[in-house]
Amino acid sequence: MEPLAPHEKILVDSAIVDDENHGLIACHECHGGNPDDPNWKTAHKGVVKDPTYPDATAACGDCHDEINEHYTKSLHVSLSPYKLMIGKRANPNGKIPHEVVEGMDNHCAQCHSSCGQCHISRPTSVEGGFLEGHLFQKKPPMQEVCTACHGSRVQKEYFGEHEGTKPSVHRQKYMKCEKCHTGEEMHGDGKEYANRYEVENGPKCLDCHEEIYDKDADTVVTHRIHKDKASCHVCHSQPYNNCSACHVGKDKQGLAYYKTKESWFDFKIGLNPLRSDKRPEQFVTLRHNPVDRGTFDFYMKDALNNFDALPTWKLATPHNIQRKTQQNESCNACHGNASIFLQEKDVEEAERDANKGVIVPDNLIPRKQKWQPK
Amino acid sequence: MKCLRVLFVFAVCSVFLIPLGPFASEAYEDTQCFICHTSAKQLIDITREIAKTRPAVTSTETEGEG
Repeated sequence: MEPLAPHEKILVDSAIVDDENHGLIACHECHGGNPDDPNWKTAHKGVVKDPTYPDATAACGDCHDEINEHYTKSLHVSLSPYKLMIGKRANPNGKIPHEVVEGMDNHCAQCHSSCGQCHISRPTSVEGGFLEGHLFQKKPPMQEVCTACHGSRVQKEYFGEHEGTKPSVHRQKYMKCEKCHTGEEMHGDGKEYANRYEVENGPKCLDCHEEIYDKDADTVVTHRIHKDKASCHVCHSQPYNNCSACHVGKDKQGLAYYKTKESWFDFKIGLNPLRSDKRPEQFVTLRHNPVDRGTFDFYMKDALNNFDALPTWKLATPHNIQRKTQQNESCNACHGNASIFLQEKDVEEAERDANKGVIVPDNLIPRKQKWQPK
Repeated sequence: MKCLRVLFVFAVCSVFLIPLGPFASEAYEDTQCFICHTSAKQLIDITREIAKTRPAVTSTETEGEG
Protein backbone atom coordinates (compact mmCIF):
# COMPACT_ATOMS: atom_id res chain seq x y z
CA MET A 1 0.00 0.00 0.00
CA GLU A 2 1.35 3.38 -1.04
CA PRO A 3 2.07 5.49 2.06
CA LEU A 4 0.49 8.93 2.24
CA ALA A 5 2.45 12.10 2.93
CA PRO A 6 1.40 13.71 6.24
CA HIS A 7 -0.53 16.48 4.49
CA GLU A 8 -2.25 14.03 2.14
CA LYS A 9 -3.72 12.22 5.10
CA ILE A 10 -5.79 15.25 6.04
CA LEU A 11 -6.32 16.92 2.67
CA VAL A 12 -10.03 17.22 1.91
CA ASP A 13 -11.27 17.10 -1.67
CA SER A 14 -13.42 20.19 -2.16
CA ALA A 15 -15.77 18.02 -4.25
CA ILE A 16 -17.23 16.87 -0.94
CA VAL A 17 -19.64 19.80 -1.18
CA ASP A 18 -21.20 18.03 -4.16
CA ASP A 19 -22.11 15.01 -2.03
CA GLU A 20 -25.84 15.51 -1.77
CA ASN A 21 -25.95 13.84 1.63
CA HIS A 22 -22.70 14.14 3.52
CA GLY A 23 -21.84 17.36 1.73
CA LEU A 24 -24.55 19.11 3.69
CA ILE A 25 -22.90 18.41 7.02
CA ALA A 26 -20.31 20.91 8.18
CA CYS A 27 -16.96 19.61 9.44
CA HIS A 28 -17.46 20.76 13.02
CA GLU A 29 -20.85 19.08 13.27
CA CYS A 30 -19.10 15.71 13.44
CA HIS A 31 -15.57 16.60 14.50
CA GLY A 32 -16.10 19.52 16.87
CA GLY A 33 -13.50 22.27 17.10
CA ASN A 34 -13.98 25.94 16.29
CA PRO A 35 -14.75 26.53 12.59
CA ASP A 36 -14.29 30.30 12.88
CA ASP A 37 -10.85 30.28 14.46
CA PRO A 38 -8.07 30.96 11.90
CA ASN A 39 -5.39 29.65 14.30
CA TRP A 40 -5.14 25.91 13.65
CA LYS A 41 -3.78 25.17 17.10
CA THR A 42 -6.69 26.67 19.00
CA ALA A 43 -9.23 25.77 16.32
CA HIS A 44 -8.55 22.09 16.93
CA LYS A 45 -9.27 22.24 20.64
CA GLY A 46 -11.79 19.49 21.35
CA VAL A 47 -11.58 18.03 17.84
CA VAL A 48 -12.51 14.35 17.62
CA LYS A 49 -10.45 12.61 14.97
CA ASP A 50 -12.84 9.70 14.48
CA PRO A 51 -16.33 10.68 15.62
CA THR A 52 -17.60 7.20 14.74
CA TYR A 53 -15.60 5.32 17.37
CA PRO A 54 -16.47 3.92 19.82
CA ASP A 55 -20.02 5.24 19.36
CA ALA A 56 -21.22 6.21 15.90
CA THR A 57 -24.67 7.34 16.98
CA ALA A 58 -24.07 11.08 16.89
CA ALA A 59 -22.19 11.08 13.60
CA CYS A 60 -24.01 8.39 11.60
CA GLY A 61 -27.03 7.30 13.61
CA ASP A 62 -29.54 9.84 12.39
CA CYS A 63 -29.46 8.58 8.81
CA HIS A 64 -27.95 5.09 9.12
CA ASP A 65 -29.96 4.05 12.13
CA GLU A 66 -30.35 0.39 11.12
CA ILE A 67 -26.61 -0.09 10.74
CA ASN A 68 -25.84 1.94 13.80
CA GLU A 69 -28.18 -0.15 15.92
CA HIS A 70 -25.87 -3.19 15.73
CA TYR A 71 -22.62 -1.35 15.20
CA THR A 72 -21.02 -1.92 18.59
CA LYS A 73 -21.49 -5.67 18.24
CA SER A 74 -19.75 -5.88 14.89
CA LEU A 75 -16.60 -7.94 15.44
CA HIS A 76 -14.59 -5.20 13.75
CA VAL A 77 -15.62 -2.85 16.52
CA SER A 78 -16.12 -5.07 19.55
CA LEU A 79 -13.13 -7.41 19.06
CA SER A 80 -15.05 -9.68 21.42
CA PRO A 81 -13.34 -12.93 20.31
CA TYR A 82 -9.99 -11.55 21.52
CA LYS A 83 -11.41 -10.96 24.97
CA LEU A 84 -13.03 -14.38 25.10
CA MET A 85 -9.93 -16.23 23.92
CA ILE A 86 -7.51 -14.39 26.18
CA GLY A 87 -9.98 -14.80 29.04
CA LYS A 88 -10.07 -18.56 28.55
CA ARG A 89 -6.29 -18.75 28.40
CA ALA A 90 -5.91 -16.56 31.47
CA ASN A 91 -8.37 -18.18 33.79
CA PRO A 92 -10.75 -21.16 33.88
CA ASN A 93 -13.58 -18.75 34.69
CA GLY A 94 -12.63 -16.43 31.84
CA LYS A 95 -11.74 -13.49 34.08
CA ILE A 96 -8.91 -11.41 32.65
CA PRO A 97 -6.47 -9.90 35.20
CA HIS A 98 -6.45 -6.11 35.06
CA GLU A 99 -2.75 -6.09 34.08
CA VAL A 100 -3.65 -8.11 30.99
CA VAL A 101 -6.62 -5.86 30.28
CA GLU A 102 -4.16 -2.97 30.23
CA GLY A 103 -1.93 -4.89 27.84
CA MET A 104 -4.85 -5.73 25.59
CA ASP A 105 -6.00 -2.11 25.58
CA ASN A 106 -2.51 -0.94 24.61
CA HIS A 107 -2.00 -3.51 21.88
CA CYS A 108 -4.79 -5.82 20.74
CA ALA A 109 -7.53 -3.18 21.03
CA GLN A 110 -5.68 -0.84 18.69
CA CYS A 111 -6.61 -3.02 15.72
CA HIS A 112 -10.31 -2.22 15.55
CA SER A 113 -12.28 -0.50 12.89
CA SER A 114 -15.20 1.92 12.77
CA CYS A 115 -17.55 3.47 10.22
CA GLY A 116 -14.99 6.17 9.55
CA GLN A 117 -12.03 3.83 9.39
CA CYS A 118 -13.61 1.85 6.55
CA HIS A 119 -15.62 4.43 4.62
CA ILE A 120 -13.64 7.66 5.08
CA SER A 121 -10.05 6.95 6.05
CA ARG A 122 -7.55 4.17 6.22
CA PRO A 123 -7.67 2.47 9.63
CA THR A 124 -5.79 4.21 12.44
CA SER A 125 -3.81 1.04 13.11
CA VAL A 126 -2.09 1.60 9.75
CA GLU A 127 -1.61 5.31 10.46
CA GLY A 128 -4.84 6.50 8.91
CA GLY A 129 -5.17 9.02 6.09
CA PHE A 130 -8.25 10.00 4.11
CA LEU A 131 -9.53 7.79 1.31
CA GLU A 132 -10.10 10.01 -1.71
CA GLY A 133 -9.86 13.23 0.25
CA HIS A 134 -12.62 12.41 2.77
CA LEU A 135 -15.14 11.64 0.02
CA PHE A 136 -17.35 8.96 1.55
CA GLN A 137 -16.69 5.52 0.05
CA LYS A 138 -19.71 3.23 -0.03
CA LYS A 139 -17.46 0.23 -0.60
CA PRO A 140 -14.18 0.35 1.30
CA PRO A 141 -11.24 -0.05 -1.09
CA MET A 142 -9.66 -3.46 -0.64
CA GLN A 143 -6.01 -2.57 -0.40
CA GLU A 144 -6.29 0.67 1.53
CA VAL A 145 -8.73 -0.67 4.08
CA CYS A 146 -9.23 -4.44 4.20
CA THR A 147 -5.76 -5.78 3.53
CA ALA A 148 -4.16 -2.76 5.14
CA CYS A 149 -5.06 -4.50 8.41
CA HIS A 150 -5.41 -8.08 7.22
CA GLY A 151 -1.97 -7.98 5.65
CA SER A 152 0.27 -10.75 6.87
CA ARG A 153 -2.27 -13.48 6.28
CA VAL A 154 -5.14 -12.48 3.97
CA GLN A 155 -3.15 -10.13 1.76
CA LYS A 156 -0.18 -12.42 1.26
CA GLU A 157 -2.47 -15.33 0.58
CA TYR A 158 -5.09 -13.62 -1.57
CA PHE A 159 -2.54 -11.86 -3.76
CA GLY A 160 -0.20 -14.88 -3.90
CA GLU A 161 2.67 -12.84 -2.53
CA HIS A 162 4.54 -15.78 -1.05
CA GLU A 163 7.02 -17.48 -3.34
CA GLY A 164 5.60 -20.65 -4.81
CA THR A 165 1.97 -19.74 -4.22
CA LYS A 166 -0.57 -18.34 -6.67
CA PRO A 167 -3.15 -15.66 -6.02
CA SER A 168 -6.54 -16.96 -5.01
CA VAL A 169 -8.67 -17.98 -7.97
CA HIS A 170 -11.14 -15.37 -6.73
CA ARG A 171 -8.46 -12.70 -7.01
CA GLN A 172 -7.66 -13.92 -10.50
CA LYS A 173 -11.30 -13.28 -11.29
CA TYR A 174 -10.93 -9.74 -9.94
CA MET A 175 -13.16 -10.28 -6.94
CA LYS A 176 -12.91 -7.77 -4.12
CA CYS A 177 -13.39 -8.62 -0.45
CA GLU A 178 -16.96 -7.35 -0.39
CA LYS A 179 -18.00 -9.94 -2.95
CA CYS A 180 -17.96 -12.52 -0.15
CA HIS A 181 -17.85 -10.33 2.96
CA THR A 182 -20.96 -8.24 2.59
CA GLY A 183 -21.80 -5.00 4.31
CA GLU A 184 -24.39 -6.86 6.38
CA GLU A 185 -21.69 -9.16 7.72
CA MET A 186 -19.28 -6.32 8.40
CA HIS A 187 -21.85 -4.16 10.15
CA GLY A 188 -22.95 -6.90 12.56
CA ASP A 189 -26.40 -8.28 13.18
CA GLY A 190 -26.69 -7.44 16.85
CA LYS A 191 -25.57 -10.84 18.11
CA GLU A 192 -22.49 -11.42 20.23
CA TYR A 193 -20.34 -14.04 18.53
CA ALA A 194 -17.51 -15.98 20.11
CA ASN A 195 -15.60 -16.07 16.85
CA ARG A 196 -15.98 -15.04 13.24
CA TYR A 197 -16.90 -18.53 12.12
CA GLU A 198 -20.16 -18.32 14.04
CA VAL A 199 -21.36 -15.18 12.28
CA GLU A 200 -24.64 -16.18 10.68
CA ASN A 201 -24.39 -14.00 7.61
CA GLY A 202 -20.71 -14.74 7.06
CA PRO A 203 -19.63 -16.12 3.67
CA LYS A 204 -20.10 -19.76 2.77
CA CYS A 205 -18.48 -21.37 -0.26
CA LEU A 206 -21.81 -22.99 -1.10
CA ASP A 207 -23.44 -19.58 -1.49
CA CYS A 208 -21.84 -19.52 -4.94
CA HIS A 209 -20.81 -23.14 -5.49
CA GLU A 210 -23.96 -25.04 -4.64
CA GLU A 211 -23.75 -26.98 -7.92
CA ILE A 212 -20.81 -29.11 -6.72
CA TYR A 213 -23.17 -31.75 -5.35
CA ASP A 214 -25.39 -31.86 -8.47
CA LYS A 215 -25.49 -35.29 -10.06
CA ASP A 216 -24.35 -33.82 -13.37
CA ALA A 217 -21.40 -31.89 -11.94
CA ASP A 218 -17.92 -32.89 -13.16
CA THR A 219 -16.63 -33.37 -9.67
CA VAL A 220 -19.75 -34.67 -7.97
CA VAL A 221 -18.12 -37.92 -6.84
CA THR A 222 -15.23 -36.36 -4.96
CA HIS A 223 -17.43 -33.65 -3.48
CA ARG A 224 -20.06 -36.06 -2.26
CA ILE A 225 -17.46 -38.46 -0.81
CA HIS A 226 -15.85 -35.69 1.21
CA LYS A 227 -19.02 -33.83 2.18
CA ASP A 228 -19.03 -33.09 5.93
CA LYS A 229 -15.71 -34.92 6.29
CA ALA A 230 -13.27 -32.29 5.06
CA SER A 231 -13.74 -28.54 4.76
CA CYS A 232 -13.45 -26.93 1.33
CA HIS A 233 -10.07 -25.47 2.33
CA VAL A 234 -8.59 -28.91 3.02
CA CYS A 235 -8.68 -29.65 -0.71
CA HIS A 236 -8.57 -26.16 -2.19
CA SER A 237 -6.19 -23.97 -0.24
CA GLN A 238 -2.51 -23.54 -0.88
CA PRO A 239 0.14 -23.20 1.87
CA TYR A 240 -0.65 -20.22 4.11
CA ASN A 241 1.00 -18.02 6.68
CA ASN A 242 1.54 -19.04 10.30
CA CYS A 243 2.89 -16.86 13.10
CA SER A 244 4.37 -17.53 16.50
CA ALA A 245 5.36 -16.07 19.84
CA CYS A 246 3.87 -12.60 19.93
CA HIS A 247 5.15 -10.59 22.88
CA VAL A 248 3.84 -7.13 23.65
CA GLY A 249 5.38 -4.36 25.71
CA LYS A 250 6.29 -0.69 25.86
CA ASP A 251 9.62 0.83 24.90
CA LYS A 252 11.61 3.43 26.87
CA GLN A 253 9.45 6.21 25.44
CA GLY A 254 6.33 4.42 26.60
CA LEU A 255 5.29 3.47 23.07
CA ALA A 256 3.54 0.15 22.57
CA TYR A 257 5.33 -2.46 20.50
CA TYR A 258 4.92 -6.10 19.60
CA LYS A 259 7.48 -8.69 18.62
CA THR A 260 6.62 -11.89 16.86
CA LYS A 261 9.18 -14.61 16.25
CA GLU A 262 9.12 -16.46 12.99
CA SER A 263 6.30 -16.71 10.51
CA TRP A 264 6.21 -19.41 7.90
CA PHE A 265 4.07 -20.71 5.05
CA ASP A 266 2.80 -24.20 5.60
CA PHE A 267 -0.25 -26.37 5.06
CA LYS A 268 -1.60 -28.54 7.85
CA ILE A 269 -4.81 -30.48 8.09
CA GLY A 270 -6.02 -31.12 11.61
CA LEU A 271 -9.09 -32.09 13.58
CA ASN A 272 -11.79 -29.46 13.61
CA PRO A 273 -11.71 -27.61 16.95
CA LEU A 274 -15.04 -25.89 16.24
CA ARG A 275 -17.07 -28.84 15.06
CA SER A 276 -20.75 -27.97 14.98
CA ASP A 277 -23.89 -28.38 12.87
CA LYS A 278 -22.68 -25.45 10.83
CA ARG A 279 -19.15 -26.83 10.49
CA PRO A 280 -19.54 -30.60 10.77
CA GLU A 281 -16.29 -31.53 9.01
CA GLN A 282 -13.82 -33.67 10.91
CA PHE A 283 -10.83 -32.28 9.00
CA VAL A 284 -10.02 -28.60 8.54
CA THR A 285 -6.98 -26.50 7.76
CA LEU A 286 -5.18 -25.29 10.87
CA ARG A 287 -3.01 -22.22 11.30
CA HIS A 288 -0.56 -21.57 14.12
CA ASN A 289 -1.55 -18.29 15.68
CA PRO A 290 0.84 -15.92 17.40
CA VAL A 291 -0.33 -16.29 21.00
CA ASP A 292 2.30 -17.47 23.48
CA ARG A 293 2.38 -18.30 27.16
CA GLY A 294 4.49 -15.19 27.67
CA THR A 295 2.59 -12.81 25.38
CA PHE A 296 1.74 -10.49 28.30
CA ASP A 297 4.89 -11.03 30.41
CA PHE A 298 5.67 -7.31 30.20
CA TYR A 299 2.45 -6.59 32.06
CA MET A 300 2.15 -9.70 34.22
CA LYS A 301 4.35 -12.77 34.47
CA ASP A 302 2.58 -16.04 33.62
CA ALA A 303 -0.71 -14.23 33.09
CA LEU A 304 -2.02 -16.91 30.74
CA ASN A 305 -1.90 -19.69 33.30
CA ASN A 306 -4.79 -21.55 31.68
CA PHE A 307 -2.98 -21.49 28.35
CA ASP A 308 -3.69 -25.11 27.41
CA ALA A 309 -7.45 -24.53 27.42
CA LEU A 310 -7.32 -23.63 23.73
CA PRO A 311 -5.18 -24.88 20.84
CA THR A 312 -2.49 -22.71 19.31
CA TRP A 313 -3.24 -24.35 15.97
CA LYS A 314 -6.59 -22.84 15.12
CA LEU A 315 -9.25 -23.34 12.49
CA ALA A 316 -8.20 -21.39 9.41
CA THR A 317 -9.89 -20.42 6.18
CA PRO A 318 -6.92 -19.37 4.06
CA HIS A 319 -7.74 -16.89 1.32
CA ASN A 320 -5.69 -18.56 -1.40
CA ILE A 321 -8.17 -20.92 -2.98
CA GLN A 322 -7.28 -22.79 -6.15
CA ARG A 323 -9.28 -25.42 -7.98
CA LYS A 324 -6.21 -27.63 -8.36
CA THR A 325 -3.80 -27.87 -5.46
CA GLN A 326 -0.93 -30.13 -4.45
CA GLN A 327 -3.12 -32.10 -2.09
CA ASN A 328 -6.00 -32.68 -4.52
CA GLU A 329 -3.89 -33.65 -7.55
CA SER A 330 -4.87 -37.24 -6.87
CA CYS A 331 -6.47 -39.19 -4.02
CA ASN A 332 -3.09 -40.26 -2.71
CA ALA A 333 -1.68 -36.77 -2.75
CA CYS A 334 -3.65 -36.52 0.47
CA HIS A 335 -4.64 -40.04 1.51
CA GLY A 336 -1.65 -41.65 3.18
CA ASN A 337 0.35 -38.42 2.95
CA ALA A 338 1.02 -37.91 6.66
CA SER A 339 3.21 -34.84 6.05
CA ILE A 340 0.22 -32.61 5.37
CA PHE A 341 -1.57 -33.62 8.58
CA LEU A 342 -0.76 -31.98 11.90
CA GLN A 343 1.03 -34.66 13.86
CA GLU A 344 2.50 -34.62 17.33
CA LYS A 345 6.00 -34.11 15.92
CA ASP A 346 4.84 -30.88 14.22
CA VAL A 347 3.85 -29.32 17.51
CA GLU A 348 6.31 -27.86 20.02
CA GLU A 349 6.46 -29.95 23.15
CA ALA A 350 5.32 -27.04 25.31
CA GLU A 351 2.16 -26.73 23.21
CA ARG A 352 1.20 -30.37 22.85
CA ASP A 353 -1.34 -30.37 25.66
CA ALA A 354 -3.01 -27.30 24.20
CA ASN A 355 -3.26 -28.96 20.80
CA LYS A 356 -4.15 -32.52 21.73
CA GLY A 357 -7.67 -32.00 20.40
CA VAL A 358 -6.53 -30.96 16.94
CA ILE A 359 -3.49 -33.19 16.36
CA VAL A 360 -4.35 -36.01 13.95
CA PRO A 361 -3.45 -39.41 15.42
CA ASP A 362 -1.92 -41.94 13.02
CA ASN A 363 -5.09 -44.04 12.91
CA LEU A 364 -7.14 -41.10 11.63
CA ILE A 365 -4.87 -40.20 8.72
CA PRO A 366 -6.83 -41.43 5.68
CA ARG A 367 -5.29 -44.53 4.17
CA LYS A 368 -3.93 -44.74 0.64
CA GLN A 369 -6.59 -45.42 -1.97
CA LYS A 370 -6.37 -47.95 -4.74
CA TRP A 371 -9.50 -46.62 -6.41
CA GLN A 372 -9.25 -43.31 -8.24
CA PRO A 373 -12.25 -41.37 -9.52
CA LYS A 374 -12.27 -40.58 -13.22
CA MET B 1 -52.19 36.11 -19.04
CA LYS B 2 -51.54 32.40 -18.67
CA CYS B 3 -47.90 33.02 -19.40
CA LEU B 4 -47.71 35.64 -16.68
CA ARG B 5 -49.33 33.27 -14.19
CA VAL B 6 -46.71 30.58 -14.95
CA LEU B 7 -43.93 33.08 -14.51
CA PHE B 8 -45.39 34.21 -11.20
CA VAL B 9 -45.60 30.62 -9.87
CA PHE B 10 -42.04 29.95 -11.00
CA ALA B 11 -40.79 33.09 -9.28
CA VAL B 12 -42.53 32.22 -6.02
CA CYS B 13 -41.16 28.64 -6.07
CA SER B 14 -37.65 29.88 -6.74
CA VAL B 15 -37.66 31.93 -3.58
CA PHE B 16 -38.23 28.78 -1.51
CA LEU B 17 -36.38 26.10 -3.46
CA ILE B 18 -33.16 27.59 -4.81
CA PRO B 19 -31.53 28.35 -1.41
CA LEU B 20 -31.75 24.69 -0.39
CA GLY B 21 -29.14 23.76 -2.98
CA PRO B 22 -25.94 25.74 -3.16
CA PHE B 23 -26.38 27.85 -0.03
CA ALA B 24 -26.36 24.84 2.31
CA SER B 25 -22.87 23.71 1.38
CA GLU B 26 -21.59 27.25 1.10
CA ALA B 27 -22.36 27.52 4.78
CA TYR B 28 -19.23 25.58 5.56
CA GLU B 29 -17.14 26.35 2.52
CA ASP B 30 -16.28 29.59 4.30
CA THR B 31 -15.21 27.94 7.53
CA GLN B 32 -11.57 27.80 8.53
CA CYS B 33 -11.76 23.98 8.59
CA PHE B 34 -12.73 23.79 4.94
CA ILE B 35 -10.39 26.56 3.75
CA CYS B 36 -7.36 25.00 5.41
CA HIS B 37 -8.11 21.31 4.80
CA THR B 38 -8.61 21.87 1.08
CA SER B 39 -5.31 23.72 0.72
CA ALA B 40 -2.37 21.39 0.18
CA LYS B 41 0.07 24.25 0.71
CA GLN B 42 -1.31 25.20 4.10
CA LEU B 43 -1.40 21.59 5.21
CA ILE B 44 2.18 20.98 4.11
CA ASP B 45 3.34 23.95 6.21
CA ILE B 46 1.33 22.84 9.21
CA THR B 47 2.29 19.17 9.07
CA ARG B 48 5.97 20.17 8.80
CA GLU B 49 5.53 22.34 11.86
CA ILE B 50 3.85 19.47 13.71
CA ALA B 51 6.57 16.99 12.69
CA LYS B 52 9.22 19.20 14.33
CA THR B 53 7.57 19.13 17.71
CA ARG B 54 5.52 15.96 17.92
CA PRO B 55 7.34 12.85 19.16
CA ALA B 56 7.09 9.53 17.32
CA VAL B 57 3.84 7.68 17.83
CA THR B 58 4.99 4.21 16.82
CA SER B 59 7.70 2.23 18.52
CA THR B 60 10.78 1.25 16.55
CA GLU B 61 11.00 -1.91 18.62
CA THR B 62 8.13 -3.59 16.80
CA GLU B 63 9.41 -6.69 15.02
CA GLY B 64 7.84 -9.37 12.91
CA GLU B 65 4.43 -9.77 11.36
CA GLY B 66 1.29 -8.71 13.15
